[in-house]
Amino acid sequence: MSAIIEVQGVIKDYPLGKLSVRALHGVDLTIARGEFTAIAGPSGSGKTTLLNLIGCVDVPTEGTVVFDGAVTSKLSDRELTRLRLEKLGFIFQSFNLVAVLSVFQNVELPLLLQGGIGNDERKKRVVDILDRVGIGKYIGHRPNELSGGQRQRVAIARALVTRPKLVLADEPTANLDSVTGGQILGLMKELNQQQGVTFLFSTHDHRVMELAGRIVQVQDGRVVDDGKQGKTPTSASAAAPTPAAH
Amino acid sequence: MIIFEIARNNLLASRRRTLFLGTALFGVTLLFVLLLSLTAGVTDNLIRGATAVSSGHVNIAGYYKSSPTDSQALVTNVDTLKAEARQALPDAVVVIDRLRGWGKIIADRGSVQTGINGIAFDDEADLFSMLTLAPAKDYRENPANPEETRGNFADLQKPNTILLFAGQAKLLKAEVGDSVTLRTETLKGATNTADVTVVAIARDLGLLSGFASFVPKQAVIDLYQFKPGVSGVVQIYLKDIKRSTAAMNELRAHLAKKGYAQLEHDAQPFFIKLLQTVPGEDWTGAKLDVTTWEDEGAFLVQIINGLKAVSLALVMLLAFVIVVGISNTMTIAVRERTREIGTLRAIGMNRSSILMLFLLEAAILGIVASGAGGLAGAGIAAAINAAAIRVDVDAMRIVLLSDTLHLVPRVVDVVIAVAVLTFVSAAAAFFPALRAARITPVTAMQSAE
Ligand SMILES: Nc1ncnc2c1ncn2[C@@H]1O[C@H](COP(=O)(O)OP(=O)(O)O)[C@@H](O)[C@H]1O
Ligand SMILES: [Mg+2]
Repeated sequence: MSAIIEVQGVIKDYPLGKLSVRALHGVDLTIARGEFTAIAGPSGSGKTTLLNLIGCVDVPTEGTVVFDGAVTSKLSDRELTRLRLEKLGFIFQSFNLVAVLSVFQNVELPLLLQGGIGNDERKKRVVDILDRVGIGKYIGHRPNELSGGQRQRVAIARALVTRPKLVLADEPTANLDSVTGGQILGLMKELNQQQGVTFLFSTHDHRVMELAGRIVQVQDGRVVDDGKQGKTPTSASAAAPTPAAH
Repeated sequence: MIIFEIARNNLLASRRRTLFLGTALFGVTLLFVLLLSLTAGVTDNLIRGATAVSSGHVNIAGYYKSSPTDSQALVTNVDTLKAEARQALPDAVVVIDRLRGWGKIIADRGSVQTGINGIAFDDEADLFSMLTLAPAKDYRENPANPEETRGNFADLQKPNTILLFAGQAKLLKAEVGDSVTLRTETLKGATNTADVTVVAIARDLGLLSGFASFVPKQAVIDLYQFKPGVSGVVQIYLKDIKRSTAAMNELRAHLAKKGYAQLEHDAQPFFIKLLQTVPGEDWTGAKLDVTTWEDEGAFLVQIINGLKAVSLALVMLLAFVIVVGISNTMTIAVRERTREIGTLRAIGMNRSSILMLFLLEAAILGIVASGAGGLAGAGIAAAINAAAIRVDVDAMRIVLLSDTLHLVPRVVDVVIAVAVLTFVSAAAAFFPALRAARITPVTAMQSAE
């Protein structure tokens, strides 16, 4: 089976006034289908930038990102949007639910955008996934009536309801306390194992990394360890833990 | 539609903002509908007034010139002309004739220029159904009994009588029962006078009544020493006023075939032709002139156009304020919701849908607020109309073509006002919406700070 993601020689520059900041200095990375991979690294190391490129919300300055066989830099905005809608799920650090929609509507939204699903089938899928993430009771609530952990569960449901090929999560636990964060990551892991969804998430939290099947270490815009040799040893205490910089 | 739901819910969520802009839209639409109703009311006054006071639906007027610089309003063999009209226009319901003169009314304490209409009382049911006797306060200063009306239209059947309008009576300081002198110039340039008694003073019809007075036919015949068979104008009333123009053309063709000389069609009222156009033309003898009520009221249409222009200017000014308000508010909303928009883009919403989202938000606000404003405006217009509020300012009466506020709320005007303001509202949101559509999905990933 081919890799879902192939990142080859990717450079990403951000314009900064007349200058530009190089956030990624030539990254190579391959993610296979079904993986549960963490991108680890200190704040400012380029995790978000990398996820943006893989998530088709941005394109590289140089090099290629191949997502499910498509070279992202060759696609139009419209095509990238379609790709995200059909094949990707997103989980954000700040949950990013639509404040004026109910939990149910938030999860229903991607299915409505996709179209082509009958009313009953759509409703059933929304209810099922909300039950699966443990939010079945809060279907009619607005996001601001829920706790952070509950909101992130809704976000996971929203990301998974379309049955995407890849779910990206940028620091999904950074705004949660450690217990809740652990539960959220546990849920993601379960979904990975039961449903075979590929997960790629970034974090700088060591306890969260423990759960990853593979840890890709990023530093100063470079992949310093792509975790292919198996699980990064826990003895990685050598790699100085970065204090949470939020 | 989920976009609709998001747009509506966002409006409900920012209640203060929505209420503020909604109130503004409500108010402007209300005002717009009031102004349109007023315009429709004045138009109504014009149609009803012009076709009763100064014109038939179609008219045959005549001009006589004994020398190239002369001009006199008259037709000869009026009975033959009436028969021609009947023959040419089978749908004519009423055919009457009036004599026309121009002169001065002189009272003890003042004088006014006026058109003089010589009428047969029995022919003029339409005219007298339009007119009402004026209360004393309309023409006398500090009357003992302000609401008192005196006189009687039917007294115009008696010889040497005159009906004045309140505005004239006020200038003349005349009262029902007073004797006034009419002074005119005859064809040969000699002045002629006649003493007439004021038998009725009618309520003003603005510009329509400013230069009109009514006397029995014989009074005009005497003043100008007309021969039998002479009159001023044949007024024809049709079954359907909408046929006026077509009927005019048929009548013109008919009269041409019968060998009558006619003036070229010219959409001017008779007095402009009498005083300006005809004296400047180089011919002598008699010519007929067939016109419609719209031709005769053309100068009044200026009033309506003026009203429309003022309404439009006012509404445009206020709409501009609304545009600024909505566009600012939307810009703020887009800024506040940057992350949400980025998220929607990230999970797969198109740019065009984002654009629609904000346009829809403004359009919903527009249609609800202006819809309510439009209905309220129509309701208030109907209430004002029912209250028959009297206008005491002469300048306003002239423009309103009445001494009473007459508003006609029309469905079409409400629809126009609501459509215009909904469009304005959506258009105002266009640039902020475009800005929202350009927000990149990367924004969704950026951390809260
Ligand atoms: N939009 C941007 N414009 C300019 N510089 C940026 C932008 N986004 C990220 N950067 C820079 O790129 C580098 C990597 O950032 P980021 O990918 O957000 O790191 P991480 O997610 O690991 O904290 C940082 O130095 C950051 O300042
Ligand atoms: Mg980051």
